[in-house]
Amino acid sequence: MVTVKINGKEITVADNTLILEAARDAGCEVPTFCYQADLMGLGSCRMCLVEIEGQKKLQPSCITPVLHGMSILTDSSTVTAARAGVLEFLLANHAMDCPVCDKAGECELQDMVYKYGPAKGAHAETKFKFHEKDYVLSPVIIKNSNRCVQCTKCVRVCREVVGVGVLGSVGRGDHQEETSFLKGLLDCDQDGNCIEVCPVGCFMRLPYRYKARQWDLKSADTVCPYCATGCRMVIEERDGVVVRARAQHGVGVNSETLCSRGRFGFDFIGNAERLTTPLVRKDGVLVPSTWEEAVAVIKENLSAFEGSRIGGVASPRLTNEELYLFQKLFREVLGSPNVDSSARWDSSGVEAFIKAAGMNEGGVSVFDCMDSDAVFIIGSQVSEENPVTDYIIRRISSGRRMNLVIASPRAMKLDSSAQTVVRHNPATEGALLKAIILTLNENKLSVSAGINAIKETKLTDCVASSGVSLEVIKRIADGLKNAESISILVGTEFLRFPEGIDGLDLLKDVCRKSLGKKLRILPLLDRCNQRGAWEMGVHPGFGTGYRAIAGRGMGTHAMLEAATRRGLDAMYVAGVDIASMYPDAGHAREALSALKFLVVQDMFLTDTTRLADVVLPSSAFAEKDGAFTNQEGRVQTIARLKNPPGKAKRDGDIIRAIGQSFERSFGPDNASLVFDEIRREAEMYKEVSLVFNNKRNIDNKLDNKEALVKASSALARGFSAWNGGAPSSEETGDYPFTLMTGNHLFHSGALSSNSASLSGLLRAAVVEISNEDADEMGVKSGSLVRVKGMTHESDMKVIVRRGSKKGVAFIAENFADTPVNRFFSRGRSGARVSITRLG
Amino acid sequence: MEKALLKNYGNAETHKIDVYIAGGGYVALASAMKMQSDQIIQLVKDSGLRGRGGAGFPTGLKWSFIPKDPTIPKFLCCNADEGEPGTFKDRGIIDFDPHLLIEGMIIASFAFGASKSYIYIRGEFAFGAKRLETAIKEAYQKGFLGKNILGSGFAHDMYVHRGFGAYICGEETALLESIEGWRAQPRKKPPFPALSGLYGKPTVINNVETLSCIPAIISRGAKWFSSIGPEKSPGPKIFGVSGHVKKPGLYELPMGTTIRELIFDHCGGMSSDRPLKAVIPGGVSAPMLNANDLDTKLDFDSLASKGSMLGSGAVIVMDSSTCMVKTAYIINRFFSHESCGKCTPCRDGTPWLTKVLKRLEHGEGRIGDVELLERLCSNIFGRTFCPLGDGAVMALRGFIKNFREEFQYHVDNKKCKAA
Ligand SMILES: Cc1cc2nc3c(=O)[nH]c(=O)nc-3n(C[C@H](O)[C@H](O)[C@H](O)COP(=O)(O)O)c2cc1C
Ligand code: SF4
Ligand code: SF4
Ligand code: SF4
Ligand code: FES
Repeated sequence: MVTVKINGKEITVADNTLILEAARDAGCEVPTFCYQADLMGLGSCRMCLVEIEGQKKLQPSCITPVLHGMSILTDSSTVTAARAGVLEFLLANHAMDCPVCDKAGECELQDMVYKYGPAKGAHAETKFKFHEKDYVLSPVIIKNSNRCVQCTKCVRVCREVVGVGVLGSVGRGDHQEETSFLKGLLDCDQDGNCIEVCPVGCFMRLPYRYKARQWDLKSADTVCPYCATGCRMVIEERDGVVVRARAQHGVGVNSETLCSRGRFGFDFIGNAERLTTPLVRKDGVLVPSTWEEAVAVIKENLSAFEGSRIGGVASPRLTNEELYLFQKLFREVLGSPNVDSSARWDSSGVEAFIKAAGMNEGGVSVFDCMDSDAVFIIGSQVSEENPVTDYIIRRISSGRRMNLVIASPRAMKLDSSAQTVVRHNPATEGALLKAIILTLNENKLSVSAGINAIKETKLTDCVASSGVSLEVIKRIADGLKNAESISILVGTEFLRFPEGIDGLDLLKDVCRKSLGKKLRILPLLDRCNQRGAWEMGVHPGFGTGYRAIAGRGMGTHAMLEAATRRGLDAMYVAGVDIASMYPDAGHAREALSALKFLVVQDMFLTDTTRLADVVLPSSAFAEKDGAFTNQEGRVQTIARLKNPPGKAKRDGDIIRAIGQSFERSFGPDNASLVFDEIRREAEMYKEVSLVFNNKRNIDNKLDNKEALVKASSALARGFSAWNGGAPSSEETGDYPFTLMTGNHLFHSGALSSNSASLSGLLRAAVVEISNEDADEMGVKSGSLVRVKGMTHESDMKVIVRRGSKKGVAFIAENFADTPVNRFFSRGRSGARVSITRLG
Repeated sequence: MEKALLKNYGNAETHKIDVYIAGGGYVALASAMKMQSDQIIQLVKDSGLRGRGGAGFPTGLKWSFIPKDPTIPKFLCCNADEGEPGTFKDRGIIDFDPHLLIEGMIIASFAFGASKSYIYIRGEFAFGAKRLETAIKEAYQKGFLGKNILGSGFAHDMYVHRGFGAYICGEETALLESIEGWRAQPRKKPPFPALSGLYGKPTVINNVETLSCIPAIISRGAKWFSSIGPEKSPGPKIFGVSGHVKKPGLYELPMGTTIRELIFDHCGGMSSDRPLKAVIPGGVSAPMLNANDLDTKLDFDSLASKGSMLGSGAVIVMDSSTCMVKTAYIINRFFSHESCGKCTPCRDGTPWLTKVLKRLEHGEGRIGDVELLERLCSNIFGRTFCPLGDGAVMALRGFIKNFREEFQYHVDNKKCKAA
């Protein structure tokens, strides 16, 4: 600790604290442009100059650490004169087109000049102009360099946080321009973090252009509705239309960052295709109707069936309160144990995953994970599924020594931060993990009882099936052994192929029990409230808070299976497009059509709503209150900004209305009362804090641990491990590629296809293959190919990914025109395809 | 004085290693290899050698900052960017005596344990770069570079790195960025290069002339070196003289030679009978001196006490026909064109100065322009990230201080007094 004087006031701070931070701690204001806590220190704008007693020159406080006994002045006349001087220089070439600038009103340059600037600038020379008109960099980014203050935050955030380095400075002196090569954003993630960090109106959102003045906007603090990273954001509306989403420095795990989906994908809310009125099928066609009629029809039909013959599937994008009510409706009102929250994952795989990932042990902060000696990411395409988690990992791993291992068949952006990158065969996470365990064992470690389970397994078999060399496996094993604390980040591949889960379960045991490591497991999930959906008990195997339940119900798989056998009469589907997400399109369609009665509530017409007897128009996240639980177990509230369009209703209100048509007292009545009930029902939620301090704070307290769910004693015992068997080995001759699926960087599920901005970034499915395969086939990114599987074929463009595993193809799961689920069929693990060049 | 640095200047053969060796070359290296590394550093400290790149930092002291830990890789970078207008001294060594530099670099590397060295040479010096590359190849063949140099067990590799054509590349940390493949912009200090330099490893950056002094210090001793010129600023020094003198060119003279001696005893006096008006003693960043200052000694401390600096030792002589406004404009234009763009005062301040000076020069001066220039200078000076911005101000302030009335004349009469 060192003691310094700032403007005469003594303050004691940690060694190496920057003068700027010490000054702010002491309550002294120091203006900055180029400084940002999480970015490399630059010291270039000179706004933060301070006077240090005994030093002739003013010093940049943002890169100068305090020394014991320093006496610092932040407001002497020299300092204020220097600030005014810097501002006068910044304005010299500045465009001064504030009246037509989207940033006006929230521009840091305006604010600084207002506060510290000279009343009058003396610059009376011809200004240098980079260009006459703003230029479009991408479908979502437009640039005006004439307003630039050259802080290079855009360049640094792009390189250091996003990890792509699309931006750079070009030119010298006052001709220096922050832009990309040839003014095109090749390889850009389109996340707009450059826009967010830009203090002035240089980088701007193209979709927001000239839409509103900042002071006309009404805003709400909320959470991103896409992946389960749980980024906090502010959404803003004007005249009932949400026009902007932005992040705030120092708020939420994400601080100032978002990904393309978060920042630009909100526009599905205002999509003209939104359903605005209930539809009821009459004489075979869906016709507009009233809520009274729709609810009456639902009540009448559902009453006719036995509870056990009704099934419910609710979207993991609904709020905790809504999901809680949904399962309550089924379990307590309709008398049905059949609830699930996904069309994609098998419910027993989910159960095994929750157990293996130790999710009932309470929330795990991603920041704590990043404090470990070794971090092992497996089964996740984190750079695309959870882009902001990728930023967090990149940012922290660049600043401290840790052993980061990434295992994935596909190459990803985060690979460059890893010490070891592993390319295993698709769906062989289990074999890889077992090989690691067996290697640990081979090194004569004492092992737990669990190891007996794989005694029969041969290391050579695991190595062969994973397709990873023994040398690399040994390196990972050594890395784990040498670490005191280990974090394993596990992704959705384990849910798609639950075969791997027992390997994970075992590794957990070995690390904790045999090796005595401090181990954390963080699930990486792709839907904003997937964890919440499970914890609310929207699952056939457990109740709210992972509580054991009497009889096991049917999951989505079982429901569809039963429907085709006439073992299920009716389904109520809230916000899930089963027909296009279930990994066997033909079967899903057949099953849903076989039902006697189908109710679907959604924001849009989907393949599933088209099969329904009653369609209920529902709401977007911006139209309701409630809470999401992110992948870490952080419970965060969303807030209502506007009303749903037309007669559409909030999902919770719809569930309540249906419940009340059976039982007048069904409730509770509003989100906050429901949450109180959740606290009573689920021990994990009992003490969770929903208070979120949204004030900007200087020290980036992003890790509000009070919001993490607590451990639940309720469980683990009832949980079954996955016993679905090994992946079927198939003929590979005719179909040389293993097809993988998942989220695209710009897309996730049905939501993103309804966003004009995201569709503008990528409209149609593409098939991604490795550079090795591409070279062999003589195709390049953009070439047209035919992808042929056993059940389906489709033509699309190819995209080449350098460094992916040979023989692996990837198509994102969300494109309605190219439903990847048609390539899959039940009973076969994974799909194999051939790819041939067209033309 | 027997020449140590320019003895081979103009010789068509001495760039060849055999000729260099025949003239006594690489003997110093052999003797250095027999010394302890600390001894060499002490010797250089005792010689009083101060960096010839501009700042005059004691060379032995700089080397002694390098950590002694043998497990950490260390680097030597030779600054051969020579970008300051008026400066052409390093080129004289590179073109005619490349082995002198290389020998000095090997000794320096041996002294503080650098395993690799880079000669960062100005991009335009294509001829010199070739010369150096050939010379390095020869040195490898003779066993002066590579593994186990002269049987000592010391291994060293040397590379030529061609620059990218910006003055800022000569600033030592920008130079490091440039070698690493980034845009040349200065780095923040601390950490200083001695602890975290090239690729984050301990690094010494020395000027060509500095390193070329080393072989002579080894073979003739520290005493010989320190006995030349003033006590605090000793040694032989190359002066590059340009402008209105009869015989412009490179002169190796003792430090502390006066301006008068240099111009009138060595350069043959003024080129015409027009009287001397001003002298820039150390490259264009150095504040100018006028005809009353001719007895000023050319060494670090004497010039500093006159409010100027020795810089690179580039002496620019101007006679009475020179327009000070035009000269100030041209020099300032250089700085604003070369400003790297990193920090606000230099990036946006120097072009502003240039625009005002340009107007003055073109008869478009406005009332208050001189005061404006002065005010802008104080908003730049001392507030920039690196010395480039300060250099621009020091130069301009020198002009205004000495010839304020000429500037005012341009404002008032929209034309030049000198012409
Ligand atoms: C803008 C700028 C340009 C410079 N250019 C050169 C140069 O061309 N050559 C050089 O040797 N030093 C140059 N320097 C000085 C170097 O930064 C550094 O001080 C010098 O190379 C150290 O070597 P020395 O200790 O041998 O003098 C420059 C400094 C600045 C600020
Ligand atoms: S959107 Fe993201 S990736 Fe693209 S230029 Fe901006 S910061 Fe870089
Ligand atoms: S574009 Fe914006 S963020 Fe980038 S350097 Fe300019 S002002 Fe800074
Ligand atoms: S003073 Fe600033 S802008 Fe000028 S060259 Fe140095 S760092 Fe670059
Ligand atoms: S904020 Fe310190 S120099 Fe920019």
